[in-house]
Amino acid sequence: MTTTTLNTGAEQRSAKIERKRPSRLVHQIHLGMTKDRIAMVTFDHPDKSANILSEAALDELNLALDAVISFKPRGIIFTSAKPSVFIAGADLNSFLDASGPEIDRLVEKGQRVFSRISELPFPAVAAIHGACLGGGLELALACDSRVASSDDVTRMGLPETTLGILPAWGGSTRLPRLIGLPKALKLILSGRPLSSSAAWKVGLVDVVVPKERLNETAGWLIAGYGRKHEAHRTTNNRISSTFLRRIARHRVLNRTRGNYPAQLAAIDVVTRAVRGGFSKSLLREKEAVMKLAGSLEAKNLMRVFRLQEEARKSRYDVTIELESLPKLESAAVIGAGVMGAGIAQWFSSRDVPVILQDIDREKVSQGMASVNKLFDAAVKRRIFSPHEASQKRDLISPVARAVPLAGCDLVVEAAVEDLSVKKKIFAELSRRSSAKTILATNTSALPISELCTAPGVTHPERIVGLHFFNPVSRMKLVEVVVTDLTSHEVVEQVLMFVRRIGKVPVVVKDSPGFLVNRILMPYLIGAGRLVEFGCSPEEIDDAMLNFGMPMGPLRLLDEIGLDVAAHVAATMEGALGERFEAPPGIGRLVASGHLGRKTGRGFYQYEDGKAVGAGERSAENEPMSGSVIAGQLASLMAEEAHRCLEEGVVKSSDEVDLAMILGIGFAPFRGGPLRDEASREEP
Amino acid sequence: MNYTDKSKDETLVIVDGVRTPFLKMGGEFSALDATEQGRVVVQTLLTRTGLDPDLIDEIIFGCVSQPSDAANVARVLAIRAGVPEATPAMTVHRNCGSGLEALTVAAERLISGHGEVFIVGGTENMSRIPLMFSLAAAAKFSAFARMKSAGGRVAAALKFRPSDFAPVMGLKLGLTDAISGLNMGETAEVLAREFGISREEQDRFALGSHRKAAAAQSWLGEEICPVYLPNGQFVDGDNGVRERQSIGALERLDPIFERHGGTVTAGNSSQISDGAVALLVMSEAKAESLGLEPLGRLVDYAYSGCDPVRMGLGPALAIRDLYRKTGLRPADADVVEINEAFASQILAVIKLLRSPDFGSFSVADEQLNPNGGAIALGHPVGATGARLVLTALKHLKRHGGKRALVSLCIGGGQGGAAWLETL
Repeated sequence: MTTTTLNTGAEQRSAKIERKRPSRLVHQIHLGMTKDRIAMVTFDHPDKSANILSEAALDELNLALDAVISFKPRGIIFTSAKPSVFIAGADLNSFLDASGPEIDRLVEKGQRVFSRISELPFPAVAAIHGACLGGGLELALACDSRVASSDDVTRMGLPETTLGILPAWGGSTRLPRLIGLPKALKLILSGRPLSSSAAWKVGLVDVVVPKERLNETAGWLIAGYGRKHEAHRTTNNRISSTFLRRIARHRVLNRTRGNYPAQLAAIDVVTRAVRGGFSKSLLREKEAVMKLAGSLEAKNLMRVFRLQEEARKSRYDVTIELESLPKLESAAVIGAGVMGAGIAQWFSSRDVPVILQDIDREKVSQGMASVNKLFDAAVKRRIFSPHEASQKRDLISPVARAVPLAGCDLVVEAAVEDLSVKKKIFAELSRRSSAKTILATNTSALPISELCTAPGVTHPERIVGLHFFNPVSRMKLVEVVVTDLTSHEVVEQVLMFVRRIGKVPVVVKDSPGFLVNRILMPYLIGAGRLVEFGCSPEEIDDAMLNFGMPMGPLRLLDEIGLDVAAHVAATMEGALGERFEAPPGIGRLVASGHLGRKTGRGFYQYEDGKAVGAGERSAENEPMSGSVIAGQLASLMAEEAHRCLEEGVVKSSDEVDLAMILGIGFAPFRGGPLRDEASREEP
Repeated sequence: MNYTDKSKDETLVIVDGVRTPFLKMGGEFSALDATEQGRVVVQTLLTRTGLDPDLIDEIIFGCVSQPSDAANVARVLAIRAGVPEATPAMTVHRNCGSGLEALTVAAERLISGHGEVFIVGGTENMSRIPLMFSLAAAAKFSAFARMKSAGGRVAAALKFRPSDFAPVMGLKLGLTDAISGLNMGETAEVLAREFGISREEQDRFALGSHRKAAAAQSWLGEEICPVYLPNGQFVDGDNGVRERQSIGALERLDPIFERHGGTVTAGNSSQISDGAVALLVMSEAKAESLGLEPLGRLVDYAYSGCDPVRMGLGPALAIRDLYRKTGLRPADADVVEINEAFASQILAVIKLLRSPDFGSFSVADEQLNPNGGAIALGHPVGATGARLVLTALKHLKRHGGKRALVSLCIGGGQGGAAWLETL
């Protein structure tokens, strides 16, 4: 489709504004007209890799609509010139710092512009290639029809509730009308984006075509060849919507214990949107988002999002040119236990060929069995198609012998937590690999500097810690542990690799327990002491679940294994002091063979791997309230976090908060242990 | 021009090799297919040798019954094994000689200047050879699919007869000679009659194959890589070898190809199996420059044609043709690997070789198949040729010795043979 660029009044007007306020306004939108008199509105931010709907962009879009309308075209197509982004959403940063009236203005502006699009006197089509998220999808929803490219980069979703707010530019209102209430609720509450084929299946887009055919197909849609939309009468009526609201509330409350008000607000707005007036629903969207945007939860969640974005860009040594560093393209994992198999599976799922080695065929076989289970689960959750999963699984080469590793760029050791064993392995890896092969250990607590100086270990500058968290496929964090000997180039290479495989790296100093486990340990020990004091395990765990932790501390101890936990505590006690001394109760349980879930009994009793009961609270002391328990235990984490900062284990409190959230699932809406502490100290 | 005289740049050496266990039809590999078996051996070979895959010029694999979902199975298994997309791959088919053909095609590529590093081998999954509908039934299915109306569909459906649903066995067709119409087993019966090979001789030979294979278990294990199965288990040994095979048990079996008076039984025929083999081969000069220690080099090879009805005699003809080129007699070999398609067939080959009219080529019992053969180990047709090369070279390495002769009969009336020697 050939287009001619229009020198529109809108561009002239915006040019005038630009002269007045050159710092604010850049052209983010190009206008064109095809020979068939179809207007092309192309988003292309000149300075950024992604198109973002900032207030300025909305203003420009509004002017563009003026111009388009004046030309009386046959239709209008919204598209993007970016290779992998349609529109990535609203401008979060401006949202974070905005005052109440500013948010009010922004929400209303978006609603107004999008309503204009939906009321245009000619057909409007969104031609979507690349990420189409949040406000971007709300714009597409305001169009009459949508065509999406079949490319992998095309993803559509409304992630607002994961940031503590809700879609308020008409998305919460238009989506349930388009695809029906149940599917709309699922999309909005999960926040998870859909691939274009999934989007077609739920009815979000009219048609999916190769990206080269997008504009041509959009032209067909304008000519009236769209998909017939269902009315969704069975779900979008008074009775069903009330019923669906109750079910959804019940589910969300069960899962989140009321800690995520945005989810509840979204349920309310979305289920009410299918009946009654459109403008009333838009008003409900606005009121809800105004209330949510000012909340601590939303501010914390948006901060976590921003910290993750920053961690994806952060540098260790800015004097190094990243382009000059060789990319890490192939890997080996030594040890096919839970962690080794999990790491190998993650590498392969991110298209990194990986050798998975263990000492005998039984162990390798068990490792491959866990790999298979992880891929099966991913297929079940529709993360991969069966074909994709089998292609990725092919990338794992299982071996039970010492194969040459000179061709590997990265070797991750995930063998037993025993320093002397690891020293031998690293000496052997030094012989089998080339001097350029980066050798990493997944140890959770052992001193890496001692591996560097072990006999037979060569080139210590390429040795780092690469600490993944269990389960690898779920926990986004990787601690990159740096010793005094590690070369800066190696650190940057590893950081790039960790980001490439979709994990978030945090650089930490080689010190006992590194960062996350060091902060976690006093919390677990504290929970154990509360049991000694007389609290029941259930009381304590319940308090922490209410606090927002994904699992209570005593259940977590049972999962880790009390013997393992006691061992780690003893190591850390030796290095860091008495506060890491395990409470005698743990020692008693270990002595009587109750090691946690693996033996069927720890703090809890287990039947078929499920916790069925715990001991009663002893009556000696006064019962403690849940919030007191949570407060005490949370402050233990915050105290240790401060020590880590003082000792320079990690550079910033932002990194501590992010690491605890992504590493152990610390309640994200509380913003991390340090942010949480600060907000409790604020009035 | 004589292939035997060639420079190090032109000489093909076998650097290393690996195979899956050979599993009887219907065993654990019926959950896999020829592609997956081939993928495993190529990936394992690359991982064990640490070879940079970019060095490979081509992948050449033999396969007789290619999976329907993987036309040119060599290409599919190569990419899935991590061979770069820019590296071409081809599948070769010379029936039971396909695994040897893959090796000799690489030799021809090398000497003609079309590449110097190859992964060759063979893969066969006989468990998964499809059952087919007859042509008449297929026509009725397509007529049914074309009908749009319910009435038309019913009418089309009524045309089916019970015989339409009786499948044609692809395996049976594949094992039948297209020219003579004889099943491979029937050709073995022809040789038994014409060479006067008794049932007892055949059973004794079969027993010997099992005994030798049972004694060589740990040695054979060196050429086998474990295969990790989708169900979380693994297999790392051939399952056709019967340690406690007795002559009595063999004698009790009924002949299967000629019910009355026949001598060829399931016990003295090769087993129908699934398996794959991969060999890393390259020019001798390249192996030297990479600092590799090859198992041996390919001296020369020959393929010869014969009467399809007597296809089992193919090895004798190929061995004689090769003698005429190289001057090497079986007696010059430290090990002779002749594929045991049928006991009667290999015994007929030995008899023919020995006869003064043919050339008085003697093959001593100790020379022949010292680690057992296809009667015990199994015969995944497209893979066997490469297995003979691997087993012979590993035998030379283990026991010392200079030369090996490998040969096999080829359905359709051919024989293939190759001389190998250590460096």
